[in-house]
Order: sequence, then C-alpha cells, then structure tokens
Amino acid sequence: MMLSLKGVRARIPLSDEEDTMGKVGVAVIGAGFIAQVAHLPAWSKLEGAELIAVVRRSEARAKEVAERFGAKYYFTDYLKALKLEEVDVVDICTPTYTHREIAVSAAEHGKHIILEKPIALKLRDADAIISAAKRYGVKLMVAHCLRFWPEYVKVWELVKEGRVGNVRISRAYRISSLPDWAPWFPYEKLSGGVIVDMGIHDIDYLRWLMGEVVEVFARGRRVREGIEALDYVHVLLKFKSGSIAYVESNWAMPKGFPLTTYLEVVGDEGIVVVDNRSTATLTVEGRGVRKSYTPLGEDAYYLEVKAFLNAVLEDREPPVPGEEARRSLEVALAALKSAKEGKPIKLPLREEVIS
Amino acid sequence: MKKLGLAIVSFAHIHAWNYAKVLKGMGSAELIAIYDDDEARLRKASELFNVKRAFDDYGSLLRDPDVDAVIITSENAKHKQYAVLAAEEGKHILCEKPIATNLSDADEIITKAERSGVKLQIAFVMRYHPATVEVKRLIGEGVVGGIRAIMATNHGKYPGGWFGDPSLAGGGAIMDHTVHVADLIRWYTSSEVREVYAIKGVNLRPELRVEDNALISLELANGVVGSIDCSWSRPDNWPTWGDVYLHIVGEEGYIIVDAFRSNITLVLEVALAAYKSIGLGRPVKLPL
Repeated sequence: MMLSLKGVRARIPLSDEEDTMGKVGVAVIGAGFIAQVAHLPAWSKLEGAELIAVVRRSEARAKEVAERFGAKYYFTDYLKALKLEEVDVVDICTPTYTHREIAVSAAEHGKHIILEKPIALKLRDADAIISAAKRYGVKLMVAHCLRFWPEYVKVWELVKEGRVGNVRISRAYRISSLPDWAPWFPYEKLSGGVIVDMGIHDIDYLRWLMGEVVEVFARGRRVREGIEALDYVHVLLKFKSGSIAYVESNWAMPKGFPLTTYLEVVGDEGIVVVDNRSTATLTVEGRGVRKSYTPLGEDAYYLEVKAFLNAVLEDREPPVPGEEARRSLEVALAALKSAKEGKPIKLPLREEVIS
Repeated sequence: MKKLGLAIVSFAHIHAWNYAKVLKGMGSAELIAIYDDDEARLRKASELFNVKRAFDDYGSLLRDPDVDAVIITSENAKHKQYAVLAAEEGKHILCEKPIATNLSDADEIITKAERSGVKLQIAFVMRYHPATVEVKRLIGEGVVGGIRAIMATNHGKYPGGWFGDPSLAGGGAIMDHTVHVADLIRWYTSSEVREVYAIKGVNLRPELRVEDNALISLELANGVVGSIDCSWSRPDNWPTWGDVYLHIVGEEGYIIVDAFRSNITLVLEVALAAYKSIGLGRPVKLPL
C-alpha cells in the first residue's frame, strides 16, 4: 500500500528507496510501561509506520523490547536514534522530567514528536518544547489519550450534538493505587504528583468538552505512608462559560485496586454518565490479567498514534498540539498551587509551581 | 406502656407522607393528630391516613393532651416557629432537616428545647440506613486506618414546589442536599468542619430563583478533606430520585457506600404485559 508522505517529505529528504517503501520511520524513546502496553503495540499495527528503533537505559531491556516489537535497532542513548536518517518521528515515553531535553533535541534533529502526557512539569519547559517544534518545523502532539478513548469520545460527540443541552456541571475521577512500574511517581519534582500526572487526563478532557478554565480551587493530601507528592487531590473548576466541574485524582487505593474512572456530564436538557466499574461489559481476572473494561470501539492508544501518524502523512496540525497540552498543564499546576496555598487560583498562572 | 402520641406538623415536605406511612405499622407510637396550614393538603392527609384530629390551628393541636411529640415536616423556614411553640408546650420534637435556614433560628430551637426539657432530634435519616451504619462500625474497628479524605455526593432531582422559593426553603440544592452527607462526614470522622469553599455554576433550570447545582470542598479540624456534590443534577426522568454516595479514603484502605444504588429494575410495561398475557392466556404484543 502506497501512502502519501507529504508531511514528512516537506522537511526531510528521503531516498528513493525509502520513498517506495512509503513508511514513516519511528523511534520510541523510553520503552517502559506506557510504551510497551500502549504505544509500541499501536505502532506495530499501523501499516504506514515502521518501527526503526527503541531506546531504553538498560541495554538488555532495550534489546528485549526491540526484539519483541520488531524494531531494527536498539539504543541506550536517545541521540543515536535521533541521528538516524530513517527515523522520521519520535515517540517520547520517558519520565515527565526528561521531556524537555529529549523533545527539544528531537526537534533540533528535525523529527516529528509525539510526547507522553503531561507535556512537562514547568510552563517554561512546555514553552521550550513548543517553540523548538515551531522553530524546526516539526509536528508536536501530546498523548492525551482520553481524547481518543471511545467512551469519552462518544460522550464528547453526544454533548457536541446537543443531546444534553448546555453543559452546566461535570464530575470526573480517576482512582487507583500508586503506579508501581516506575520509581519516580511518588516525587513531586519528578511526576508532579497525582494531579499533574493523572488528574491532567480529566482536566484536559474537560477543557476539550467545556472550554477554558478561569479559576481553580483544590485540596490535597499525602495519604499513603512515605509518599512525597500529593496522592489525593480534589479540584473544583470554574469555566469561562460559568459552568463548573469536579475532578478527583487518587493514587491512595490499596495495591491491586482496579483503575476506576467516572465521568458525568450534566446539561440543561440531560445527563450522560460513563462509569468503568459498574458498566463494564468485560471483566477478566486470571493468570497475569486483571481487567474490567467497556470496549466500545478500537483501542484508544491505537487511535491516538494513528491520528498523529495521519497528521504527519497529510501535513496537518495534530489533534492535540503542544499549546493545548500546555493549557491543561497550567490548570493542573494551578490545582497543585491551590492545594498548597489553600486559596482559589485564577488563570493564567504567572509563575512556576514545581521548582 | 402507653403508645407515644404523635402529631405530624405540615405535609409540605414529602417525607411527611413517609412518616405517616411508617407510623401505621409501629407498635410503640401512634399518629393521632395532624396539622397543616394548607387546607387541601390537610384534608387529603386526614383522609389518606384516617386521622380524625386534623387541625388547621396549630395552637389547638399543641393543646391536645394526647399529643406527646411532633414531627415537623413543614417548609424549612417555618421549622423555627413550629418547633419553638412545640417546646413551649412541652412536646418532644423530631424536625426534618435542615434544622432551620439560619443559625439564629437553629440556636433558638435548641435553646428552647433544652429549657423546656423536651427531646429534640433532627431527621438525619442516613444515620439509620443499614449500609451507612455498617460504615460507622467498620471505621470504628479501624479496618481502613485513619481517614484522610471523603468524596461525597447527594444528587437529586429538583423537588419542585416551595423548594424553589428562597423565602421558604432558605436556598436551593445547597440548603437541601448538603446536610445529610455533611452530617455523615462529621459522624464518621468524629470531627468538625473548619473550612468550606464552594462554587456554584449556571442553573440547569434557568427559571429557578435558587441554585440547582454547586460543589463544596471541606476541611475538618482533624485534617480530613472532603467534597460534596449537592446538585439537583438528575433530570426528571432519571430512574431513581438521586443518590447518597461516599468514597472514604483511609490510610490503610477504602470504603465505598452507594446507599441507594438501584439493584432491582422494573420495566413497568413488560410487567403489565405479563399480567395481561396471564389473564388472556396468550402472548401480548408491545407497546400496550
């Protein structure tokens, strides 16, 4: 199958041989949990893409992942992947505190970028990533997966079709145990804590659904013993429209607690609710599997990566550009600031919250 | 032992009709008199519950020596006048929540009841729900460790009538739907709320003069944080009246209580068709 390479071609000269292959070369940097469960399986399903390289700090693990997903190369140094001509796009799945360095470097090497959420922990880091992408003319998309989550997309569509009238009040939660697949989550300087790392999903989704946030009030706690960052935060959001929303982000559940998400959107003509626990259409617990979900359509991560690939191929703005992700980060940081200072915070934010 | 003689004061609140029903089956108490300032409602309740002593004058009801206690289920703003007079006449009081629409009325009710030596109870019915009682027991046993946070909702439909009148209700959804879960949070944490932050949005029903949606964030004296969604955010055709939901986050575990979660679904038309089918002895096509 021949695919248009307009977006790639415009900026990166390809050899004839590569052109006839018609595939976008991908390097996945940071081949840890989210890359292995979400991004790598998606890339390997996409016909228009070819997995060129994976990068991990551990050579043995990099090799294992490269073999499992059929990557041509594996590296422990991301610069080696960025220097490969056959790499057109990089998918950055490293810890949040490394995003700026890697994303800016990727832009300098002329690579299009899909970056895990949150875009960064500091607004100036987000700005640096956005301006580097602009300066070097590369696409930048931040992987806010709820914008591709079939149930959440369906709710968005129902709302935009006017099925609930004007949206007035929403509730969105994400409740789980502390992520145990990487050591950096418990530290505010590395992850931002539960509201910046996980709550940003719901914040970004609600912004997409309800428009810009003008004021934030939040309270937070450190519930689990030994955690340095906040692992419980609730947030009251006021939107420009005058409507309001409640967001709760909770990492304080016991180990093994299944990720619980809830979304309720109430308008003046109706209500729509998605609750992944009580409406699960599929529940399985077995050898190495414990899952309860509502498969309405295709895998969200596949749809997300595909949307980015199409934006590259068709030379269009990706669906979640850096500026959008920066605004969601700003709201999450305002919530963190409010929780620390005990008062409502108006947007825009004038200063950094995480030092 | 003599049965306790009870009177229901006003059928303005829908719970009055529930109280009258449950009193019918109670061995130790009897509904002997009713009062209402609405003539039609008084007549309806008198007929429905077969109560002979139906007063349109509150003083006459209070002078009835067989009345030991009153259940006040009037509009919120009228609680004080009925409760104070009842206390003065030495009648015990069960008063619908909220106790009053302002703190000075609440203080007056409490002081009067204390001075008159009558029992005063506010109808925090959620303290008697089997699930919420079990939660209290579990917390007491320490199964979740120290409580750190509680998320609560008490959603409902718009109750209609005087609930939309600020002079009678004292407010909207916040006045109607905050106190039940606020009371549970105080009960479970054995602590008092020391700070409240709240926001209200744009009404779902623009014609209302009271707020119908709002969000509340609390901090208790012992450091627990809490949130309450008190909104009348359920549309009229929502399958249940609403919810009382709490997610309690402890240092060593959690408790989720969804006190009125519907676990029986009745699709009336299908049930009616089933009866019809039995009667006719043949299949029945829908819609009826």
